[in-house]
Amino acid sequence: MQAAAMKAATRHPRQARWAHQGFGVATPFAGTVRLSRATRDLATRYLSGEIGRAVQPTAFAVDPAWLATAPTPNRHYAEAVRLIAAQAPLRILPGERLVGAATLREAAQHLTPATPFRSISHTTLGFEKPLRIGYAGLRAQIAARLARGGLDVAGVDLLESMTICLDAATHWHARHVAALERLVAEARGDERRNYEQVLTALRPVPEQPPQTFREALQALWMLWDFQRLCGNWSGIGRIDKMLGPFLARDLATGAITLDEARELLAHFWIKGCEWTNGQGHQMSEGPGSGDAQFYQNIVLAGVDEQGRPVANAVTDLVLEVVEELHISDFPIAVRIGAATPERILRRIAAIQRLGGGIIAVYNEDRIPRTLTAFGYPLEEARDFANDGCWEILIPGKTSFGYQPFDVLLLLQEVLGLSATEPVARHEKVECGEWRTHSPQPGMTERFPDFEALYAAFRDRLAAKVEELTTTVPFLDLPCPLLSLLVDDCIERGRAYTQGGPRYTVRSPHAGGLADVVNSLLVIRRLVYEAHEFTLERLVGILQSDWEDQEPLRLRIQRDFDFYGNDSAEVDALMQRVFNDFTKLVGAVRERNGALRPAGISTFGREVSAYRPHRTATAAGNRKGAILAANFSPSPGTDKRGPTAVIRSHCAVDFGRLPCGTVLDLKILPQSVKGEAGLQALMGLMRSFVQLGGIFMQTDVVDNDLLRDAQAHPEKYPNLSVRISGWSARFATLSKNWQDMIINRTEHG
Amino acid sequence: MNLPSGDRSSPGACSRPDETPSGTVFDIQKFSIHDGPGIRTTVFLKGCPLRCLWCHNPESQDSLPEISLIASKCVGCGQCVQACPLNNHVMGAGGERIFHRARCRRCGACAENCYAGAIEVIGRTMSVEEVIADVVKDRAFYETSGGGMTLSGGEPMAQPAFSGALLRQAKDAGLHCVMETCGFAAYNLYATLLPDVDLFLFDLKDTDPARHRENTGVALEPIVENLRRLDTAGCRIWLRCPIIPGINAVETHLAGIASLAGPLTHVERITLLPYHPFGQSKYARLSIPDPMLPCRAEPTDHDMDRWRNYVANRTTIPVDVS
Repeated sequence: MQAAAMKAATRHPRQARWAHQGFGVATPFAGTVRLSRATRDLATRYLSGEIGRAVQPTAFAVDPAWLATAPTPNRHYAEAVRLIAAQAPLRILPGERLVGAATLREAAQHLTPATPFRSISHTTLGFEKPLRIGYAGLRAQIAARLARGGLDVAGVDLLESMTICLDAATHWHARHVAALERLVAEARGDERRNYEQVLTALRPVPEQPPQTFREALQALWMLWDFQRLCGNWSGIGRIDKMLGPFLARDLATGAITLDEARELLAHFWIKGCEWTNGQGHQMSEGPGSGDAQFYQNIVLAGVDEQGRPVANAVTDLVLEVVEELHISDFPIAVRIGAATPERILRRIAAIQRLGGGIIAVYNEDRIPRTLTAFGYPLEEARDFANDGCWEILIPGKTSFGYQPFDVLLLLQEVLGLSATEPVARHEKVECGEWRTHSPQPGMTERFPDFEALYAAFRDRLAAKVEELTTTVPFLDLPCPLLSLLVDDCIERGRAYTQGGPRYTVRSPHAGGLADVVNSLLVIRRLVYEAHEFTLERLVGILQSDWEDQEPLRLRIQRDFDFYGNDSAEVDALMQRVFNDFTKLVGAVRERNGALRPAGISTFGREVSAYRPHRTATAAGNRKGAILAANFSPSPGTDKRGPTAVIRSHCAVDFGRLPCGTVLDLKILPQSVKGEAGLQALMGLMRSFVQLGGIFMQTDVVDNDLLRDAQAHPEKYPNLSVRISGWSARFATLSKNWQDMIINRTEHG
Repeated sequence: MNLPSGDRSSPGACSRPDETPSGTVFDIQKFSIHDGPGIRTTVFLKGCPLRCLWCHNPESQDSLPEISLIASKCVGCGQCVQACPLNNHVMGAGGERIFHRARCRRCGACAENCYAGAIEVIGRTMSVEEVIADVVKDRAFYETSGGGMTLSGGEPMAQPAFSGALLRQAKDAGLHCVMETCGFAAYNLYATLLPDVDLFLFDLKDTDPARHRENTGVALEPIVENLRRLDTAGCRIWLRCPIIPGINAVETHLAGIASLAGPLTHVERITLLPYHPFGQSKYARLSIPDPMLPCRAEPTDHDMDRWRNYVANRTTIPVDVS
């Protein structure tokens, strides 16, 4: 029968062993088992890739004859959404407590199925509003807006296309209701009772606003998973804020128990692994960056718009589920501050210690202040979440994009170092393309002192920032479905990609700062202070990639305290570069219809886009080295442990960085054993907040294990590592990404 | 009885009373989390009166800075040969490197020129201010985790004036202070420090006097006496007992720990430390014969658990394994 088109396949042979080994992770969970056997078994099936491998390419297409009538792109897109809702396979598994499934492979490849259009990621849509007013409420808003008039042709086209998408979503829902009715009629016993319960919760939502926790959870899944089925990769956002009030009400009336609620939430998490294919390669398009990179980020705790603490029973249940099932597919960021309850910090530390980097932390005491200083209203600043990674935004109100560039490349250009031509490479749609510039030979005479060199570097940085902040942010990419869930697209009659959202953000993101600072430090000391050699001589050495200069290279690496060692001299130099970058960007708060908050990141670019053009550096690196990630120290240079790293990282004023950044910490498991280890992890988080950091991800893993996993991926099918804002299964990373993770300095 | 009673052998020590002393430090380790409560910075002082067979920090024993040579890191560049004023580094005809350690005056010229990091000087003279300036940097971490500074070694009491000044200044800076000690020093030296030590990590290597002398080189009795006197003085104490298979991993010693600690009123916990061979490679770097070479049995988690229970069943003091 159609409804169970993807029936339970034969049990995966690995299943039993996985269940035994704690799902193939580094540190199997040894705490209290709270979830039912059936739920744990279902998790095992999803994590094995059984469900993900069954996701098939789209088998239908928009009618060519209709396309020949030249519909607008919005209509073209809406027609595809209509077809998806009508024809995409359903997947309803026995025993599952939620329904809705993204069953088209193109969606997992960042494409809109049945169309030539790419889709959109790096955003968190507004799911809170439809949970409050339902599809019905959205439909009424559109109708009211159309009735009020004053829209241009494009606006009317968008709103009519939105209505088609909304009707499609309703149809998708109706197909599930009908399928469940048939299943209820056919099934017997426990299976039937389960289908009945699923159907009862599904029937009214998301058409109407949910009334119970179970309905709210089902509605949120349906809302989120339908946009995903259509190819978009949105974050989920503040799940405890959205669902907590429903659970509180149900618990108070006795309509549900905590155990029942935990089971339901576990099913949400399990279904979140629906694209995991367990085959050592990812379904998504990113080259080698892992299988869990679908930007489905979750944000927990913090305060609401009125400043009231959010943490509630849902917060605790989510942490319990993640601890027990160790599902990394929803990367979680918890907003922590001085007021965060001890029990939540303790749970975070306990989960971090299991490895996998699933839980990172935001600084609740810092970020809203920074956002209001940038210009967001306080209520919105308090509601911050991210774009599916860690870049800070206002969820449901923001079209987000960032423009990455390598500051180290700029310094190397100023030095006249010739980079190899980078491979032309399209980053994702939301990213600016970076370009190469010709080297400028004979420049060393122009830098009689360090200040002259620094001024040239700063000028080069200024030109880059000017170039990035002058871009026009709008795209001709139809996205009426997405626009439905972002304020104020309906009101303005403008799409997500066309300035419809309250905020369009294009954030210049600098990478390579640590390596710039390390290089400048060496140049200042050896060229301009000790006069060991001229700048020209040094550049010659670097051009030859340290040929015959191994003693010098080793001496530099041995003798310099580089960024990340709590050295006042280096930290001051970092402050200078950071302040210049943030001042340049800060001078352009808004341009061409986009806000321009500064950010610092590399994500994986230190191994992908940037590596091919990286020459030898003055800091003793050879050509093509894997250098610093994000705003972390360069691998191997941080010799004084995590506290020194945190101190150096937090030595800058993060109030100047509204888009945010990340500190990656890798800590050895044996160094955080026992109660003392738990307290230490908690202390690191508390201090990070107190010192004014923004976002910290801690990965507790050791390199021996990672090397073993590199050699024997079959032993660690579900071993996750934090990359940058997301975790991925180590086995699904390509070798150079695996090497990048192994290269990060271990602290213990 | 020949108890160490002053900075006899510490070359950097300054005896003028109007100056804060300097001392010989071989490491300052941040994010130490098993040397007392919370996140701590452990200052390792050089020099120890004991010579425990199982010592995993042999570089801490000698009170003078010394030369460590890691042969595997040597790239054969010959810089040390040129740098050594006494020609103690020699490249043999077959390319093998030779280091005449017995003739070495420990000037460190070779290490300074060893860019590959094969030769290093272990230990350097530091002033109290230098050490404390580094230690206070992590104040934020101490405050959020209940941590602070730990003096360890070697044996801090081998440099009592320096240790005392470090503790005094750390205390003045508002830091929680822990001192790890082997207990082998004149009690009057401890007495002067007591106001500045919040917690002692007191190492008890063995409870059998003969075995203690044989395996650590010193007598047990003054150590036990100091333990009792610190307890009587009201000092908080965590007892730390290394468990070495083939040496002291015997029931009489485990029972001895319990019966020794039992009557004491300020011992808050007993930690059993399983022997580990991490120090093994360090002996070769210092050209010291490894006294434990024939015995390399690391206790299993199961062993440790069993021994922990054995002690725990004989005392009301909490017993754990580190």
